[in-house]
Formats: sequence, C-alpha cells, structure tokens
Amino acid sequence: MSVTINTKINGQPISASAEASTSLLEFLRDTLEMKGSKLCCNTGECGACTVIYNGRPINSCVTLAADANGAEITTIEGLADGDKLHPVQQAFIDTGAVQCGYCTPGYIISVKALLDRTTKPTAEDIEEAVSGNICRCTGYNKIVDAIHLAADRIAGRA
Amino acid sequence: MDYFEPKSLDEALSLLAKHGHEAKVIAGGTDVMVDIKYKEEPGCLVNIKKISGLGGIQENGGSLRIGSLATIRDVETSSLVRDKLPVLWESAHQFASLQIRNTATIGGNICRASPSGETLAPLLVLEAKGKLAFSEGEKTEPFMSFFQGPGKTSLGTKGLLTEIDVPFPAEGSRGVYLKHAVRGAMDIAMVGVAVLITPDAARNTLQDVRIGLGAVAPTPIRASKTEALLRGKSLTVALLKEAAAMAAAESSPISDQRSSGEYRRWIVEALTRRGLEQTWKAATGKEVA
Ligand SMILES: Cc1cc2nc3c(=O)[nH]c(=O)nc-3n(C[C@H](O)[C@H](O)[C@H](O)COP(=O)(O)OP(=O)(O)OC[C@H]3O[C@@H](n4cnc5c(N)ncnc54)[C@H](O)[C@@H]3O)c2cc1C
Ligand code: FES
Ligand code: FES
Repeated sequence: MSVTINTKINGQPISASAEASTSLLEFLRDTLEMKGSKLCCNTGECGACTVIYNGRPINSCVTLAADANGAEITTIEGLADGDKLHPVQQAFIDTGAVQCGYCTPGYIISVKALLDRTTKPTAEDIEEAVSGNICRCTGYNKIVDAIHLAADRIAGRA
Repeated sequence: MDYFEPKSLDEALSLLAKHGHEAKVIAGGTDVMVDIKYKEEPGCLVNIKKISGLGGIQENGGSLRIGSLATIRDVETSSLVRDKLPVLWESAHQFASLQIRNTATIGGNICRASPSGETLAPLLVLEAKGKLAFSEGEKTEPFMSFFQGPGKTSLGTKGLLTEIDVPFPAEGSRGVYLKHAVRGAMDIAMVGVAVLITPDAARNTLQDVRIGLGAVAPTPIRASKTEALLRGKSLTVALLKEAAAMAAAESSPISDQRSSGEYRRWIVEALTRRGLEQTWKAATGKEVA
C-alpha cells in the first residue's frame, strides 16, 4: 500500500508517495533523491542517517517515512546558504574532522541540533549530542575540536 | 502491507480487533522498523502516534502518570521524574543514544517486553501499573503480572497500553538503577539491576527492600527471596554477601552472543551488592557494618 506524505524538508513543502513500510531515510534517498543523509547500519546504531525532526535529532533509518507527514525536517542539504557553508560544516573542514566523510553529514546534523540548543556546550553536552554517531576514521578529538570551533564562531567568540 | 493511522483509541482498538495477528502496532518504531527491515513485514501496520491524549507526564496525587507515547527523552528531561523517580530517570538516561531516546517511547519499551528493556526493572521495583485498553473495555494491571515471556504481555494482539501509573516511593527511600553493558548506554543491557530500599524511622533496618533484575530471565523479575531475606534487618557485610549470592541464584540467565549465563550471574551478584550498598548508605547515612 502506498501512502502520500506531505512534509516540509529544509523549509520546502514536499508531497510524495511511498510504500507504507518505507523508512524516512529511504524516502529521502530513494524517493526524493536527496543522498546527503547516509545509509550505513540501517538499525539506528551509527548515526550516519541523522536528521532533525521537529527540532530533535533522530535516526531516519528507524523512523517511518509516514511520520514525516506534517513534520518539519532538516537534512544536511539544508544547512549551507548558497555557497556559504554553515559554521558547523566550515569548522569540520577547518579542524580536519573529516576523512572518508561517510559519518560527516550525521555528525554535522547532530552538532547543529546541539548548537541550536546551546552555544556554550559542556563536555557532557557534547558527549551526549554525538554519542549516537560513530566515526571509523578520524578519531574523535578533531570532531570535538570542530564542535568547539563552531560553537565559538556561532557565538561570536572566534 | 496495509497501513492505518487511527485518530482515536476506539478506532485503533477496532482495527486491532479486526486484523488480529496480522496487525502490528507501531509507536516510535525503533524496534518495529528494524524488524520490518531484517525480519518480516507484518500484514498491516497500525501507527498510534496520531491518537491524542497518549503522551505527556503529569503528577496525579501520589503518583506520576506517564502517557505511553512519552519518549524516553521526555522521561529523561522531566524534572518530576528526576526528582521523584530517580530509579526510572537513571534507566532513561542510560538508554541508547540521544537520537534513539528522541524517538523511542516508554510504551514501546514496555510492550516490546524484552527481558533487557531498560525501564522494566525500575518499573517493577516502583510497583507501577499499566492502563490497558481493549475493544471490550479498560483495565489496570500491575507490571508484576503483565510480562509473560519475551515479547509476550497480557495485551495479546488486541490491546493497547495507554498510560503508566508510577506511585512515588515512600518518604526516605533511596533507589538506584545499575546497567552493565559493553559499550555503556549505547548497548542493550547485559544485566540491569534496580534497587529501592526504605529504612525504618530510626534508619537502622530495612523496612522495605525491592530488587528488580533485567536481562537475566525470560521476563524482568523481582528477586523476591532476596527481598524477604533482607526485610526487617540491618545491612551487615555478611548479610550483603548472602543477599547478593541469593539474587544471582534467583536469576536464570541465558547464554548468548553478549555473554554467557554464568558471567551474567556474576554480574547480578556484583550489581546487587553495589546497589544495596549504595542505597543503604544514601538512606541511612551509615556504612555497611
Ligand atoms: C540502536 C538502538 C539502541 C537501543 N538501545 C536500547 C537500550 O539501551 N535499552 C532498551 O531498553 N532498548 C533499546 N533499544 C530498543 C528500543 O529502542 C526500545 O525498546 C524502545 O523503547 C521501543 O519503543 P518504540 O516507541 O520505538 O517502539 P516500537 O518499535 O514502535 O514498538 C515496540 C513494540 O511495542 C509495541 N507497542 C508500542 N507501543 C505500544 C502500545 N502503546 N500498546 C501496545 N503495543 C505497543 C509494538 O507493536 C512493538 O511490538 C534500542 C534500539 C535501537 C535501534
Ligand atoms: S544508518 Fe541509521 S543509524 Fe546507522
Ligand atoms: S570520516 Fe570516515 S567514518 Fe568518519
């Protein structure tokens, strides 16, 4: 059975149909061809598919696409303003927090959600915010550096 | 696969009555979506998230009413839960990642009836009750009798859990929830132990002791023999040792990829000892003598 999904993604109203069993991640990647959110574990463990759903970071791979109905969703595609990268994206580049890049969209979304809540995150806040994101390449120090740099830039401290 | 989004409880219950075994309820979907992808698709999915009145957390006389659709994050960030039900708060805090806590519901955690479900041992020691709705009517059932086996509850295939009623523990009581998992909160518990004690007025003996064990039997259980052993006594080093060993003996863990049954028993013993020690100190201000 197919369901019609009326949602708002990165501020744009979108209406599309998908099989009822479709996950939000499959809806984004396969139905809407938005490939920024990554498919990795497909079981909610790694965070590569993280999107912001009504203000909260969630794993789109274990969310029903139909739950996007009436919701507001932010994906990695919605962060940059034209050619100008979002401060979190820029900070990941500037600190070298990216290697293969597969985990990066998920991290950036989790960090954006964190910095939307506070621009003075404690070590505990940071750990909580990215505890559901796994990176196999960089080691986590550079990611933490990127989070501090982005927070400082957003708050005008750097 | 058919798909329904009932707007009312009655509509949802009649869908379940009509579709029976074919139907699968979905709330947050963190268990159901994984099953759909890796096990099998149900004949139809009944999404209960559009039913109003199933969320929220409110104080209700001497207890807390938690709607079944309240997320684990709602539970974790509720100051009422944190202040009045620290045992439950701890289990929500040690629950997976922020992303999962933002999606997973407490009702889903309960109805999944996994022996390792994080909130279950805490709900057992808090003597919480569930409000169960069927097309024939509603009933309230203590969680002590609700769990019947892995994935099996007294809801069967036709009922819905609508809310959870958690009485506030007695004045002066202290509780802890201790989770043992390889990768901390991110991992499913290998063993979870909830301890809640109430000292007598003079703070010399254990007037009430409740010990809940998760992931070490087909359902979450209370270590009732251990509780009986401890009740009315002062906690000594020898009694603590005896109680911890008894709790381990009351568990019947399986061996699986996460650990052997024998190892799980050791952990039950260690966590029961630690839980009793911590709560005794917090409740009486005394060391275990
Ligand atoms: C990566 C990951 C990590 C996890 N970590 C943990 C963990 O640390 N601890 C833990 O305990 N669990 C964990 N889980 C399991 C899962 O997140 C929890 O069991 C969660 O609480 C389920 O809630 P849900 O709303 O997502 O349930 P759903 O998947 O929607 O439903 C779960 C079950 O309950 C039934 N159901 C749901 N609501 C109701 C209702 N109101 N009435 C009747 N039946 C209902 C459904 O039919 C289904 O059988 C994890 C899962 C993932 C994917
Ligand atoms: S792909 Fe969703 S959490 Fe890994
Ligand atoms: S950069 Fe490769 S997984 Fe993180």
